[in-house]
Amino acid sequence: MKPLNLIALLLFLGGAVWALTRSDRTVREIQNAYYSAMSPFLKSGSKMETQARAFLGETHHSKALEAELESTREQLGRLRLIESRFRALEYENVQLRHALDFKKATTFDVVAARVIRRNPTTWWQTVEIDAGSKRGVGTQLAVLSNQGLVGKIDRIDNGGERSSVLLLTDEKCQVSVRIENSPEVGILSGQRGGFDGDPMLRLKFLSANTSVHSGQRVFTTGRGGTFKANILLGTIDSVEKGALDSEALVRPSVNFADLGAVFVLLDADS
Amino acid sequence: MIRYSFITILLLLAAFVVQQFLPAFTGLHHSRILLVQLVFLCCAVTVGQRTMLVLAFIGGFFWDAQCALGPHGGDPEVYTQQVESLRFGYSILLFGGMGLLMQGIQPLFQQGKWQFSAMLSGIAVMLYLAAEYAIINFVRGDFVLNWATLLQIVYTSVLTMLFSPLVFWMLFRISSACDHSINPEAGRRCRRAY
Repeated sequence: MKPLNLIALLLFLGGAVWALTRSDRTVREIQNAYYSAMSPFLKSGSKMETQARAFLGETHHSKALEAELESTREQLGRLRLIESRFRALEYENVQLRHALDFKKATTFDVVAARVIRRNPTTWWQTVEIDAGSKRGVGTQLAVLSNQGLVGKIDRIDNGGERSSVLLLTDEKCQVSVRIENSPEVGILSGQRGGFDGDPMLRLKFLSANTSVHSGQRVFTTGRGGTFKANILLGTIDSVEKGALDSEALVRPSVNFADLGAVFVLLDADS
Repeated sequence: MIRYSFITILLLLAAFVVQQFLPAFTGLHHSRILLVQLVFLCCAVTVGQRTMLVLAFIGGFFWDAQCALGPHGGDPEVYTQQVESLRFGYSILLFGGMGLLMQGIQPLFQQGKWQFSAMLSGIAVMLYLAAEYAIINFVRGDFVLNWATLLQIVYTSVLTMLFSPLVFWMLFRISSACDHSINPEAGRRCRRAY
């Protein structure tokens, strides 16, 4: 090998070792810089996609769209009424909790967002949404759909207009859960390579002699500091009993193949 | 030569931008065209070892910046068995390995037999994905390989390989624009024939 090539190889290996020893914080800074540089392209890409969708939308039959709009308007009005009533009740609840000297009042707010990109990476199950720090979204916040828990925020773009959501179907998204009508608690996560068809979730650390059965619903416990309590995750599909502990397969309540609008759960204080 | 090397770096960076707009094919087990890897592999066979290593570092570094997941978060007392992520920077070594593999058949490419390089690019992508998946299994424990994952790897490699003639065509155009021959032996043979 030529001396110059050897030096280049050593420099390459040195650079690789330098990259491999970066802390999580430095990696986040590098990612922020990368996505800042990509931001103009991503923005224009999203814009083009929106325009294309709008063009395709126009080709749909206008009467069907009008009927859908009318029904959506009606639903929106009804939901606004419910929300105002909910806010009043929430305020009343906070006041009463305060009067009773409860330690913490659980108030929250949500930010609605649209899924703008699906599965941008090869192995991780993530989507990108059009809400970022500009709308109060931060990392590790829970993301929901009207069917249940979708995942959690993994990364916020520097521009503050987009963020990446780690889906519940990814192996790395772990949730502390409880099973309804049962004292059982466990850790729920996605499964490796579970891209196709109906992805199932794996519920671990159930007791060896567990009495859970298929059809029981699974909710968050609120422990672990990421997800609030009582968010629906899915229903038990099957139980695999072991000598030391049991595991169960859970069918998610959310249809991950058809994610359109999602809601990021914010703390009321944020 | 310097101009050509510089343009290959720009081409690799442009591939990162285009990759953002290439979706996964849900009907083909979420396989996708890995344009960044393809551009790197095709460039690797046309440049010297030093330029290949520069390209491998840039490619691996930015690929990890694009794909790395954040820390687990949550209370470690509740999540006692946290799922490990791949370390930032592992792709640099994988890109380097793929580049060295491509350079192994550089003599054939220089004779004008670019078809072998095109085929090897598909094999290299398959090895790259298999290595990546093996590393995931190694750091997370429990070797899991299902049929869908295997098909995802195969389809991704084949789809990516199908685009390699296009990338080689671009590289030939760029090299002639830079007055630099990327397959000099083939050029000499042509001149002798005339």
